[in-house]
Amino acid sequence: MAHKGTSTFIAQRASAVVLLPLAVWLAWSLAAHAGDSYEEIRAWLGAPVNAVLMAGFVLAAAFHMRIGLGEVIDDYIHSGLRGLCHAANWLFSAAVGLAALYAAWRLAFAG
Amino acid sequence: MADGTRAARPLSPHLQIWRWTVTMAASITHRATGLALSAGAALLSAWLVAAALGPQAYAPVAAFVDSPFGLVVLAGFCWSLTFHALNGLRHLYWDAGRGFALKHATMTAWLVYIGSIILTVIVFAAGLAAKGGA
Repeated sequence: MAHKGTSTFIAQRASAVVLLPLAVWLAWSLAAHAGDSYEEIRAWLGAPVNAVLMAGFVLAAAFHMRIGLGEVIDDYIHSGLRGLCHAANWLFSAAVGLAALYAAWRLAFAG
Repeated sequence: MADGTRAARPLSPHLQIWRWTVTMAASITHRATGLALSAGAALLSAWLVAAALGPQAYAPVAAFVDSPFGLVVLAGFCWSLTFHALNGLRHLYWDAGRGFALKHATMTAWLVYIGSIILTVIVFAAGLAAKGGA
């Protein structure tokens, strides 16, 4: 992440602040729905507010994760593999975020 | 070097050299829990996709979550989340230019460890209560 220190720093903190309340919501909701059947989980995530919060959490987490994993890559990978690692990190983070977005959309809006 | 070989320069001391302190442990744990949460985010995403696809896709995921190993994974995910969130707050506090005094940083590191364990127990107890009551 050369030459992007300040914007990366700010993006990491901003996503952290977004994630804090969403993480509280997630931990509490998952605990409350621990004994749910499939139909109950569908009904819970079928409510748009829950689907949006869930997609919001995973998207913000994927964004935050991409920065954090990028830092780890920069710290430990010094060979030519580094660029490949960053590309893999981008793909992984995008896949995690987009899969959750697709799932939330299907659960809440597309049946 | 000019002849193309690398000089055997001394490396900076790494983990096995330093005497362990709680601030250092918290720093390492922050990174480790961040890595664990990356795997957790992928699992959460997979769980959502399974729920969206239908009962046949959801059944094996639900069976895994209900298994003893699944519960251990969930407990690890829960503690990683609470630790990373609390230590993240500690980082934001530092970003504001506060809390750097050695005594202060040591105290907040202990608070993060103890607080994350307490929060994990609370969330897990609530989850088990919901499960039992369902």
